[in-house]
Amino acid sequence: MAGKIKKMIEHIISKKSGNDSTLASSLNAKLCLQGVIPKKYDASSPDDPVIIGKLQTIAAEWGVSLAGV
Amino acid sequence: MNIVKAKSDKTTTKEAVEEIKSIFGNFEPRMVLFFASSNYESEKISAEMKATFPSSDIIGCSTAGEITSGEMLKNSVVAMAFNSDVLNNVKIEIVEGISDGVDISDAMNSFESFYGKKMTEMDYKKYLGMVLIDGLTCAEESLMENIGNKTNVFFVGGSAGDDLKFEATHVCANGKSYSDAAVLALMDVKSGFDIIKTQSFKVLDKVLVATKVNESSREILEFNNEPAAVAYAKALDVPVDELSSHFMSNPLGLMIDDEPYVRSPQAVEGSSVKFYCSILEGMELSLLESANIIEETANALQQKVEEFGEISGLVNFNCILRTLNLESDGKSKEYAEIFNDIPTTGFSTYGEQYLGHINQTATMIIFK
Repeated sequence: MAGKIKKMIEHIISKKSGNDSTLASSLNAKLCLQGVIPKKYDASSPDDPVIIGKLQTIAAEWGVSLAGV
Repeated sequence: MNIVKAKSDKTTTKEAVEEIKSIFGNFEPRMVLFFASSNYESEKISAEMKATFPSSDIIGCSTAGEITSGEMLKNSVVAMAFNSDVLNNVKIEIVEGISDGVDISDAMNSFESFYGKKMTEMDYKKYLGMVLIDGLTCAEESLMENIGNKTNVFFVGGSAGDDLKFEATHVCANGKSYSDAAVLALMDVKSGFDIIKTQSFKVLDKVLVATKVNESSREILEFNNEPAAVAYAKALDVPVDELSSHFMSNPLGLMIDDEPYVRSPQAVEGSSVKFYCSILEGMELSLLESANIIEETANALQQKVEEFGEISGLVNFNCILRTLNLESDGKSKEYAEIFNDIPTTGFSTYGEQYLGHINQTATMIIFK
């Protein structure tokens, strides 16, 4: 399977930022500093379980539900 | 004026604080911020500041050099006072024991209770956090990650210094002094504010991937699956035994939105390289080359001046490595003069905080 990481990242940033561009940019930076580089992932990126696990942890910390993603 | 600044190089704590008080005159501070050389005893200056400004909230820390409008100082104390036309409110919290693990839950609960709002719901355009942290704890990354996980409010600040003695650094709040701690101030800003993060480096096209790291000790064992020192030297095209002489001018940068978040190397230890902030395994870091600090800082500030019209006050958390670089180039005065026309206070830090922990950067808060 592929593309899940990109979907998760987009969902997390969108929910947490409320589509505010300043917040979206700062959340992108926070993800990078925590070791997830959003620009590295596209629709064909393999579903790396390590990165998916990291995003699940971050989503939980940020209070973002990943239900349905 | 709603923000005033002061400095003193009086040698006794009492005289220095008295001089600051006399410069502030009849100004009624809602909050006072101070940065003092480690030559002043931290407990004493914190207590003296609170005794002198009893109705104000007060935070501060020890430094590796002080900054005020037009001057970069040593062995002095600088201060800035904000009145209630700038700050609607401020709440200060201390997070202690950070080298054993950072727990900010009490601080966050206190902020929520004080402001009657959840940290997740606070408007980042209205609230601003300032963070001062003991600069010898290696806990900055954890603190900033914890804060960033809990809120969208920006926390900006610096790591306390001790004039390059690397023995003990202190943070202060409301009359007390703390080690192994961070001071968090959450401000409800009435007048408007913005943040500057500026670093002066050209990004080279060489990339080092951290393939083996010891995150807690901020040590890189391998870059590109080679011993870290060997790979770093190879990227610079210099012998390994000359690597450390390039550290100041060629740190590494985690590139985010085409901007480096600088990671500065500290020392070669065997074949490993120790850094001033942690690097995660798998991180891709670009090799950087130092550029013109004066020009890039002036440009960053000018851009904000044009956006703001007028800046009432500026707090500058300037990396000690930038300060040393400016000193070795004989450009300290020129740097300080960038801030000639703006009420400025700040200090030379052991690390800068903005979204995370960074090096060789100036993080600044500007108030409208």
